[in-house]
Amino acid sequence: MGLQAGVHNLPFIPVLGFMHSDLMKVRRDLKTVRDPYSGNEYVVVLPIIPDVAIIHAARGSRSGEITTDATRNDRLLAMAARKTIAVVEELVEPEAVLPRRQEVFVASVHIDAVVLAPNGAHPTACPGIYETDAAHIREYVAASKDEQGFAAYMEKYIFGPADHDRYLEVANFRGGKQS
Amino acid sequence: MTKPTISDQTVHPPEVMIGAISRLLRDGEWVATGTLSPIPAAAALLAKMTHAPRMTTLIYGDPDFRLSEGFHELFALAQQGKIDVFFLSGVQIDKGGSINLSMLGDYDRPTVRLPGGAGSSMLSALVRRVIIFTTSHNRRLFVPKVDFVNATAADDAPWRRGGLSHVVTPLCVMAFDGTKKEIILESLFPGVSLEEVIRNTGFDLCIGERTIPTVNPLTDESLAILRGPVQERMRLIYPQFAASVWGS
Repeated sequence: MGLQAGVHNLPFIPVLGFMHSDLMKVRRDLKTVRDPYSGNEYVVVLPIIPDVAIIHAARGSRSGEITTDATRNDRLLAMAARKTIAVVEELVEPEAVLPRRQEVFVASVHIDAVVLAPNGAHPTACPGIYETDAAHIREYVAASKDEQGFAAYMEKYIFGPADHDRYLEVANFRGGKQS
Repeated sequence: MTKPTISDQTVHPPEVMIGAISRLLRDGEWVATGTLSPIPAAAALLAKMTHAPRMTTLIYGDPDFRLSEGFHELFALAQQGKIDVFFLSGVQIDKGGSINLSMLGDYDRPTVRLPGGAGSSMLSALVRRVIIFTTSHNRRLFVPKVDFVNATAADDAPWRRGGLSHVVTPLCVMAFDGTKKEIILESLFPGVSLEEVIRNTGFDLCIGERTIPTVNPLTDESLAILRGPVQERMRLIYPQFAASVWGS
């Protein structure tokens, strides 16, 4: 709901729920207002307006239209943020930016930059193109248990590889093909 | 060759839970499952393929469940009152049916910090029935009072439509008593003793003089459907879960 308020630049938005949860004790940004129509008390939240949103999308055009996964809230995020960078798997002509199954269209007015980066969501998934690299995630979780392991992980995958292609080689990830 | 029956093959604990949840779902209901909910998803599919053919399933992750805009639509449907049943879980569940998804210990100095309640506070109030499912049953999970309340089983919020209906664990089915506002034991799964449930639950289950029945939620027929078409769908929606229960 915060993103919905952000999209419309509202000062706050009433939400259903929260009233009887302990979040009311620890989240000082959650406040209540009386609905002037019904007289009921509602919890309100601030709008979420990110300075920059980075979303990963299946395909986009040079003019900034993109199609992205419909099972997340990326369109809402792009519409709420001040600036949105779309990282795309594939660059296509504007007329080819058509949503496929489980995808939505995001208009170029919401996109400030398009970055072409095939397999750019690795080790997470780009739905419909490649799955989460579960083995890599497990390796990351194991490496995160102590400082030394995490530093080794960072060196191997993040600081070591010269570019994204080298990273994918080190990660032994061949990526997905458009079906 | 005669067809194998339940009595001569191993039924896995998740299958029993799937069967039990399936039996709690009614024909015609709109049943939604969220992220990380393979057991409820399989239960919804099983119900639809057995006793509830007119049920509407909204299974997050199902390629056949299409949204026009994003996941927030599922919340919108719940807010509109279109979702009859939703499923929640937690790291702690207490006698009053409150669930904790945030952290263990003191809020400012937690021993474990978790991803958080997500939409549980809203969903638990705005769907008609909440079914809690857990993949373990012990005293760390079922506590007298949760360390942090994310969602309540029942309260007087003006937007509340329903609340906690049942709790399904690997050992038993518990019901929420709407009058007493507490969780009570309803039935045991085959091979589970009453003593085992009591020993692993950190609050009184209001057994009193009641005889708690042992209920096998699966029939030969429903097990065959679960291992047939339901398993087939689950391999698409939750491949890792399907492999863990039915092999790869």
